[in-house]
Amino acid sequence: MLTCCSAIWRSPCCRPNDVEGDDGDGSAKVKPEMSVIDAFYAELQYAVFSVLCEGESQVFTCLVSPPAWFQQFAPAIALGGTGNPADDLPYLDNFLIDAATFWQSQAVGKLASGPWVERDAEGGEWPLEAIALNVQGEWLLQITHLGDDFNRQRRQRQTARENLLTQEQLELEVLSRTRQIKLREAEIALRLVTAACFRDEETGSHIRRIGLYAAEMGRALGWSQARIDDIRLAAPMHDLGKIGISDKILLKPDKLTPSEFEIMKRHAEIGAEMLGDSGISMLDCAADIAGCHHEKWNGEGYPRGLKGLDIPETARVVAIIDVYDALSHKRVYKKSFSEQETLGLMDEMAGEHLDPNLYQVFLSIIEEVRVIRARNPD
Amino acid sequence: MLQKKICLLGAFSVGKTSLVQRFVESMFSDKYLTTVGVKVDKKVLSVDDQDIKLMIWDLEGEDDYCKINSSFLRGAAGYILVADGMRPQTLVTALAIHESSQALLGQIPAIVAMNKADLRASWRVSEADLQAAEAILPVLYTSAKSGNNVDVLFSNLAQSMLQAK
Repeated sequence: MLTCCSAIWRSPCCRPNDVEGDDGDGSAKVKPEMSVIDAFYAELQYAVFSVLCEGESQVFTCLVSPPAWFQQFAPAIALGGTGNPADDLPYLDNFLIDAATFWQSQAVGKLASGPWVERDAEGGEWPLEAIALNVQGEWLLQITHLGDDFNRQRRQRQTARENLLTQEQLELEVLSRTRQIKLREAEIALRLVTAACFRDEETGSHIRRIGLYAAEMGRALGWSQARIDDIRLAAPMHDLGKIGISDKILLKPDKLTPSEFEIMKRHAEIGAEMLGDSGISMLDCAADIAGCHHEKWNGEGYPRGLKGLDIPETARVVAIIDVYDALSHKRVYKKSFSEQETLGLMDEMAGEHLDPNLYQVFLSIIEEVRVIRARNPD
Repeated sequence: MLQKKICLLGAFSVGKTSLVQRFVESMFSDKYLTTVGVKVDKKVLSVDDQDIKLMIWDLEGEDDYCKINSSFLRGAAGYILVADGMRPQTLVTALAIHESSQALLGQIPAIVAMNKADLRASWRVSEADLQAAEAILPVLYTSAKSGNNVDVLFSNLAQSMLQAK
């Protein structure tokens, strides 16, 4: 658990009486010879320098009595004296490059360094900021102790970042839980399909190939990863409804009679009914596929005689890959066809049985399809 | 004495300041105290019988609202990209910062510190992402809390800087 803790940096008033000229409140002691305006500047906690360019180098002249916090970093620099504050405050080295460009531009206004934290010899932290100014043609450098302004700024950022961290943790948790749910969905899908496989001749390899071909089609169609994941799991369930067909018909080695075929056709509706209305996107996808994978592009399919784009896209995809897999592999009732023969037959089906546009997409991924086929033989 | 500026870069709350504190002061605090702007620290290190003074610039971490001020990287001889193994996105941020830093500084020595290694059992960053990072940059598994690999991190970078000079 993150906690917001109090600032550990030094405020101008927290220094002990260990700095020469410090009268206990952190500011420079008002010496008798100090003018009112010098004393005023000393109270402001600013160190202010005029800057003159001498060839490559810059000469810094201290214009105000330096406050105590500054003196402990640069004890040699006094009012009216010269010395480069960057020798003692290394961060300034970097800022003075930008400041020089700003001064030379003669731009009106100021350039701020942004806050930085300087550490003293005792490990105390001092939040400072440098500001370059062009005032009436004079180049000025002001170094400020940010004090409570820094404290406020840090508290604000601390709160904002703690909120961002909480949000990030919640998002990671949601992601992790979603992944667990997806894994469970995949496991349930696999077991459902395995159960169906016990009843007919379909092999585990066929199931894997159908899912992988479908996912490859989804990728080629530019689908979201979530939709691709759905069809990879849902496509193998296209024949799940066969669970509801009697063994006498399902396992009959001979050609089915017209009345037996009518019963067999019911597997599409049974599958859709088994998988539908779950409110789970993967199962909804599976229900569409199970119910419509025997519909034909020309409207002559079953069970509803849907035509063209009225057939869900997922079902049109699975119709193509199911035909490809069935033709290119051996079944008890047929020999396997070569790829050339398979694609020749499918060319004739495109526009009649199969969606001709999706078939072109399938042909565009034929290399990937071959790799899947080679890696998942029967 | 040879002096080199190095920067600690990365997303917010990955442990950049804690790594510096562990290295410079041998201290660690569990409290998260966000850095605003820059913190500059110094430490002298002896590498291959040579003393090298590291000027360590600990830069405010990146978040949705605050990006790294590229002028802070000026003059750096090397940098450490810090990521938190518990937060996979911080490795993505570190590698993105590496790309933009390279564009600015050229090929200078850099190391990824996969921090919070004491909590490695709960890390969410994937092995594949770690391997991808290792293909780009040297990666060290550090813990500012236990001190594991912290000195190695800075001395490896110092050594690379000396070899690169």
